[in-house]
Amino acid sequence: MSDSSSKTPQNPPTPGGESQPTTGQYKPDMLDARPVKPSKLGYNIALLVLGIVFIAAISATGADWGRLVQLPGNMVNYFTLMGQGVAQPLTAEVQQHWLSAFDNMLESVQIAWIGTVVGALFSLPMGFLAARNMTPLPLYVVVRFILSVIRAVPEIVFAIAIMLPIFGLGPLAGALALGISSIGTLSKLISEAIEGVDQGPLESARASGATQVQMIRWAVLPQIMPEVIAIWLYRFEVNIRASAILGVLGAGGIGSLLSALFGVRAWDRIGITLVVIVVVTIIIDQISAWIRHRVIHGAPKKEARAARERDDSDGVGVPPAGAHPI
Amino acid sequence: MIRFSNVDVVYPGGFQGLKGVDLTIDKGEFVVIVGLSGAGKSTLIRTINGLVPYTSGELTVGDEVVDPTSKGKIRRLRSSVGMIFQSFNLVTRISVLNNVLVGRCSSTPAWRSLLGWYRAEDKELAFQSLERVGIVDKAYNRASALSGGQQQRVAIARVLAQDPEVILADEPVASLDPPTAHRVLQDLRRINRELGITTIVNLHHLEMARKYADRVIGMRGGEVVFDGPVEEATDAAIEEVYQRSLTAGDAAPESAAH
Repeated sequence: MSDSSSKTPQNPPTPGGESQPTTGQYKPDMLDARPVKPSKLGYNIALLVLGIVFIAAISATGADWGRLVQLPGNMVNYFTLMGQGVAQPLTAEVQQHWLSAFDNMLESVQIAWIGTVVGALFSLPMGFLAARNMTPLPLYVVVRFILSVIRAVPEIVFAIAIMLPIFGLGPLAGALALGISSIGTLSKLISEAIEGVDQGPLESARASGATQVQMIRWAVLPQIMPEVIAIWLYRFEVNIRASAILGVLGAGGIGSLLSALFGVRAWDRIGITLVVIVVVTIIIDQISAWIRHRVIHGAPKKEARAARERDDSDGVGVPPAGAHPI
Repeated sequence: MIRFSNVDVVYPGGFQGLKGVDLTIDKGEFVVIVGLSGAGKSTLIRTINGLVPYTSGELTVGDEVVDPTSKGKIRRLRSSVGMIFQSFNLVTRISVLNNVLVGRCSSTPAWRSLLGWYRAEDKELAFQSLERVGIVDKAYNRASALSGGQQQRVAIARVLAQDPEVILADEPVASLDPPTAHRVLQDLRRINRELGITTIVNLHHLEMARKYADRVIGMRGGEVVFDGPVEEATDAAIEEVYQRSLTAGDAAPESAAH
């Protein structure tokens, strides 16, 4: 200890004039002790395979890329018609068109909302059943299997095959089809959030004699809830797009309007409808993204940090003189 | 109060955590366990509340034999054996009060704890526990807004809310700076004195062990190799526990000397 403290950092006498003037103990033969750089072979092969798959997939689609360049002439024509429709002066009739597009879009949003709520209600318990750290293995395997089947089936199939015979093809059928299909993805994402939970609070709750239900309520839920809400909201955004597509098949909402308009080639109204879809979707996406950000990252970050710094300086644990024995 | 007779712990992987531990800890004792990392200190502590099940021998806490196979019995045992951890293990997104009320879970019906509808007397107990560690003013703050020392004191309050007969502390101050560490240990010591709660603490720091313990237990390789009043835990005795000089890490290795 004493000789190392007397060592001066600058200008030490290095016998032999070695290339490392700052450290007296440095010896070139120490190089032998350096670890060999780990192989990246696996990583590079994976990258290569990914590239091959990508190129193969592109060529397998068999798309005629040449046609992409020469846009069909009538396409330009349609866009012009749509543009004229959007730009036309707001006569009473045109106003009616905008309003009906907006009404239909609202119905689509409602369908998406009901679907999301249904999915959210079921996804929380299903998420726990599909989380490896919460559920015994046999049940976990079964639930995971059911969920992956649900995820594999497109919403449209749910709407036609299951809901049509029961409710007829309408807004309710669309909403429930979206709900079921939401359960699949939501539960999977929630189960992953549950599996990633910090084990510490769980252990301390277990050590104080809490039951499984109490541990879920007070150690798991508080940890995952922000993430769960964000997942639900994101699914709502996805469901809005999906409900528009379901509408084309007759499940009501903006999709139904759009398919009716396509039927009569009312390009001006199609333009108006598309603008409404895009604007409403963007607005809802923005609001939802803002809420998700708030929920995940917490609102008043600056205040919390300031409070912690304040606390660090005092924090002396002097108990009150007359504390009752417990 | 706590009696180990020839207790073995063999982990599922085959690693032997405890080897033939014979130990009696009396009510109200403040015991500090020392030993190198991996010596079995944590295993010993976690055996007492069944977080680690023992595989042979017999362990009694109070009048009851600890039965790792019975979930109900283990839960009842844990309700009277509080535990605090190196990393505090608070739920950082809920309030300090709700963290302390987790200590009341074992005596609260499921529907009440699901709704967060604790009885008035449970809340009163939680507040008194917070007062005892001098942190009641933070009751409605989020736990994440507290410093490390404060979080550990909340963890002590949570344990106190259990109204325990035994407190187990697994490296409670290992992630705290020295002054804060002393404050936390003083709290534990004071609670041990005032309420007569048997307290068993794992510690790495010898001076702290000597300052606060009534009795020191030394462990090596899963066995108890030293057990005596704090006066007997001399440097020589602890070096015997560690099987190496207390300052071994300070000595410069041969190759680095010049």
